[in-house]
Amino acid sequence: MKDSCSSISKLLEKYFDRETTGDEGVLVEDHLRQCAACQAQLKSMEELRATLRTPVDKAVQKETFAWVWQKVEREIQDRPKPSWRESIRAWFGSSFPFRRRVWIPAVAAALLIIAIGSPLLFKETPSQTELSIVEYVQSDTNNVMVFESEKENVAIIWLFEGTEGDSST
Amino acid sequence: MMGNRANVIFVVFVFVLAPLFVSKALGQVQTRLRIIEASNVGSSIDPALRDVHDQLGSLFNFTSYRLLRDESLSLVPNRPSAINAHEGVSLEITLTKQQKKTAVYQIRILRKGSEILDTKIRLSPGKTALIGGPKHGQGSIILAISARF
Repeated sequence: MKDSCSSISKLLEKYFDRETTGDEGVLVEDHLRQCAACQAQLKSMEELRATLRTPVDKAVQKETFAWVWQKVEREIQDRPKPSWRESIRAWFGSSFPFRRRVWIPAVAAALLIIAIGSPLLFKETPSQTELSIVEYVQSDTNNVMVFESEKENVAIIWLFEGTEGDSST
Repeated sequence: MMGNRANVIFVVFVFVLAPLFVSKALGQVQTRLRIIEASNVGSSIDPALRDVHDQLGSLFNFTSYRLLRDESLSLVPNRPSAINAHEGVSLEITLTKQQKKTAVYQIRILRKGSEILDTKIRLSPGKTALIGGPKHGQGSIILAISARF
């Protein structure tokens, strides 16, 4: 074996397993064209793989693995059923947002929005009756005038006393 | 030294805040009632009415305003309070309903014992009711009613 063979032999196993990079592959293939020893080494690797794979493949094809599935089913049945609390905890633990503890600020933000938004949502709009100052006026003896100024936030109830003449307004 | 200071703070707290809590607990509403004489005799404005002078000037055509009485009433719901407005005219004011920022009053004006006006008004912060008309000398009486919350 030449000196270059010793360096290529390290790459040869990678080449055999198809793990070489593009440059490494080219290097190995160039060497293999010139080196009969390395060609033989590669060939022996392929033969060994074929020798090992054939009986394993045959055995796998024959095997149905029914016993494995039976064992798995038995394991599942034998396992104690988790309580609803544990189920919820497991669900929270496995769900992405809860696993990352994102839900804490999310819930806090939601509560804050509800706290700020609910007074606006449930704010009662005052009716026209509630906006006006004067609810009713009654006088059996005199004329009465009611004037409400929204601008001044004031209401005037003026009683016209007829006996001494009208008001100067 | 610290004990004295703590006592002073406690006393101030009790005297300043206690009436507030008591009035809230009893459902009292502080009501300001001003009895004003408005006339066209002269052009004097009572200095005590400076805060409402612009309002009165824009709403009425009188040239002179004089404050006759300035009453601050602590009204309890459904307990009438009688006030002698001026000679022969009295008024009865009753707090009929009190909500968070609204007070409803029933006001009856009587002349020589006979009712000449019965009204119900709803006051909230910043709102004023002016009830005027009853004759007084050469002018008229104006009652300015506002509630303090």
